Amino acid sequence: MRRRRSARRETRSGSRLFATYAVASLLPVGALGLLLLSGTRDDATKQGQDQGKAQAAVIAEMAIAPALDDADLTRGVTAGQRDSLAKATDLALYHGSVLRMRLRNFNGQVIFSDDGSTSGGVPVGDPAFQSASNGTATATLVKDPEAPGGQIIRVLQPIFARASGEAIGVLELYLPYDKIAARLHEQMTVTYRRLGIGLGLLYLAMGLISWSTTRSLRRYAARQEHEALHDGLTGLPNREAFRQRASAAVTDRRDGAGGAVVVVDLNRFKEVNDTLGHHAGDELLRVITARLRTALRTEDTAARLGGDEFALILPGLDPPDVRALLERVRAELTREMVLDGVPLTIEASFGVALYPAHGEDVEQLLRHADAAMYQGKRGAADIVVYAGERMAHPTQWLVVQAELRHALERDELVLYYQPKIRLADGAVCGVEALVRWQHPERGLLPPSEFLPAAEQSGLIEPLTTWVLRRALADQREWTAAGRDWTVSVNVSARNLESAEFGPLVVGLIEEFGVAPGRLTMEITETAAIVDVEIARQALRALSALGVGLSIDDFGTGYTSLARLRGVPLTELKIDRTFVDGVLADPENQAIVRSVVTLAHGLGCRVTAEGVETAEVAAWIAESGCDEAQGYLYSRPVPWADVPMMEEVR
Amino acid sequence: MKALALSLVAVALVAGCGSASSPAATAQAVDNGVPFDQALHDKLPPSVRNTGTLRFVTDASYPPMEQFAPDGRTIVGFEPDLADALGRVLGVKIQMVTGPFQTALDRVADGTYDGVLSAVTDTEEREKKTDFVDYFSAGTSIIVQRGNPSAIAELTNLCGHVVAAEQGTVQADLLHRSQSGCGDRPMQINQYKTNADALLQLRTGRAAAVLNDYPAASYLAEDSRTSNYYQLASGAQYEPGLFGIPVAKGNTQLRDALKGALDKVIASGQYADLLTRWGVSDGAVKNATVNGALTD
Repeated sequence: MRRRRSARRETRSGSRLFATYAVASLLPVGALGLLLLSGTRDDATKQGQDQGKAQAAVIAEMAIAPALDDADLTRGVTAGQRDSLAKATDLALYHGSVLRMRLRNFNGQVIFSDDGSTSGGVPVGDPAFQSASNGTATATLVKDPEAPGGQIIRVLQPIFARASGEAIGVLELYLPYDKIAARLHEQMTVTYRRLGIGLGLLYLAMGLISWSTTRSLRRYAARQEHEALHDGLTGLPNREAFRQRASAAVTDRRDGAGGAVVVVDLNRFKEVNDTLGHHAGDELLRVITARLRTALRTEDTAARLGGDEFALILPGLDPPDVRALLERVRAELTREMVLDGVPLTIEASFGVALYPAHGEDVEQLLRHADAAMYQGKRGAADIVVYAGERMAHPTQWLVVQAELRHALERDELVLYYQPKIRLADGAVCGVEALVRWQHPERGLLPPSEFLPAAEQSGLIEPLTTWVLRRALADQREWTAAGRDWTVSVNVSARNLESAEFGPLVVGLIEEFGVAPGRLTMEITETAAIVDVEIARQALRALSALGVGLSIDDFGTGYTSLARLRGVPLTELKIDRTFVDGVLADPENQAIVRSVVTLAHGLGCRVTAEGVETAEVAAWIAESGCDEAQGYLYSRPVPWADVPMMEEVR
Repeated sequence: MKALALSLVAVALVAGCGSASSPAATAQAVDNGVPFDQALHDKLPPSVRNTGTLRFVTDASYPPMEQFAPDGRTIVGFEPDLADALGRVLGVKIQMVTGPFQTALDRVADGTYDGVLSAVTDTEEREKKTDFVDYFSAGTSIIVQRGNPSAIAELTNLCGHVVAAEQGTVQADLLHRSQSGCGDRPMQINQYKTNADALLQLRTGRAAAVLNDYPAASYLAEDSRTSNYYQLASGAQYEPGLFGIPVAKGNTQLRDALKGALDKVIASGQYADLLTRWGVSDGAVKNATVNGALTD
């Protein structure tokens, strides 16, 4: 539907361009028409006058001049000449071919006239008379109410009486104009019609040219736009077009109905590409495209974001309908197909972000849909609807996850330990196990580089297991070396969600034969208050066994204090952000004091994290904290390098 | 053709201007014309000096010597231009007046006009009526219709044909004198008041030939307006003679003044210039003569 609408828009802008051309070309054609018309009218008038002059010239030469023979008009004409003149002109006058006639000498005297009068006529001073006196005939249209058509032609014609070409006088002739006018009118009509048809055809030709030009331009522009916005292989909209359409869909929501932005990832595409070749890969993408088109409604949009990644816009659907539609799409996509003679089934992961529920920004929706899709890839579900921030992760985690898996197998991880100092006597009372990754290419990586990725995948479980085993193994060694340090291990919320975690820890304690009290599980504030029953049970079981429970980074989460009540805690660790600036900031001081009070009230120890100076350490000790941790004492180091109590001091 | 007509008009305008301007005052100032000559002016008869005008009669149907301009009223040609040049030297205005050729000498003799400037051949016969101041040399040619349908090559071929000529011309005389050679096949010699009337006869096939002076004849045969209808029967010029300005006998003052003026015009080169302009250089004379008729 969107595509159709945009096509209509292109047509509309094209026809507007065409209309502009049409109007613009109408102007010159119209101007040309007016020019030609006025020219034709002028020509016709002149033609009429010329015809009158031609008639007069013939009359003068053939009727008047021969009759005058040898006359000297300054002296008048003889009776014989008068007779000849009368004879020569009688018929023409009688039949109306000539309406009036006067023969005048250069002084203007009327020597002869059709009705015998010697008065009247054009004044001698009239330019027409002067012109005729000087040898040039003039024709003028004059009004005559009695004449048919109301107009007659007056011609003043010099008379060249003799073969020598000598002029002897002026002939004043009045000729009927109605017949000339009628014929001219007829000619004009014909000319007008031809002109009209000709200009019409010209306009039509210009119109056709501009129409075809605008059509070519329109097509070219449409093709350019299509190429800019579509994927060459599948013909689907590309990422850019997807963005435009998605943002239009999000903005254009009608009736307030929401919809979904879906990211689709083919699960075995790389495999197909690698085994059957790129040609088969392309073919696979084309088949998938066709299937997407079949399964989707007309108002939906499918786009190819790149590689084997597709995206869908499903406007105007409720979440259940989205799921139903996607089920149909999945069924269609996963139908068996044959590529190069190899039957195969492609599976796809669908990540769904609903708008407006999950945002109204296309990038955000895409990120959320992506997150949901990866979540799906991790689990068994093929269609996963975005379910909040926890899903968010950067894409490169996939790489990290893959590498981390190898790292676990190749034993590239190492454990470092940071000592906790008992403030009462300054002795090392325990260590926190911190995992490091001895990456073959990137060197020693801190946990921030890979832990989030691990947390998002099932990898966190083997990772935590590895950390626990190594920590317990190390503890056994330092115990043998005469150190009675407890060891703290960070545990992810995901670990707690797993039903196997509790038994695992119990099993390890037994296996390594350590006292449960010398092991502490550090969990984040958020993880501590999860509503998952399994997690609660795990925490209770470990607590019952005597394993310590510590809340890490206390004060940075959003814990309701009420929730803390049910958790059997042994330690609260004040986050470094409060500790770091505690000397300068009275608010931090207040917070630290309060947490100390709170912790002691709950029956917990309080550990300050991030202690870097002796002054801070002094203040912390004075405020009532039990233990401290930080660079002042030691960075995380292999356990053998953890400084002894005396060295710390 | 149009260009020619325009140039004719232009010449007419120049001539008109020349004759219209006050001659004594402006003659010296204007262009390359021959300067006004006071001595010659003083030789003019007192009546002419008083009026400042000389009236020469002409039959303006003899291009390129003289003809009517397209307006039918102005006379243009070699002779009007020559008259203008002479007038400038003499410091008088010379008017060209149209009149019949046949009676022109009589009108001069009786004092109606001061002279004739109309390609008048100076003959002994005519010298009996008037004196002549001669300014040009030409013979007679035979004009026939283009294609020469009557196959006329020389005078004797005219026998048995209708031949037209202008009344009172040497050509009419020549025809009459040639009649004797025709024996029992005489020519029918028709004479007309103007040369144009005679040519009209030839143009319409009512005459087989017209006799003209050579300049007029060759002009007819070559001018684009007339060459479709006329041609010369041959290149021959019969009875060559001088053209002169007839002046009343006894009016020696005018005669001598005109001769003097003509010599001045010839000497100044303007004469040659005018001859060239009108394409009649063949008829140039070296100097003016009085009563130079060749004896028969």
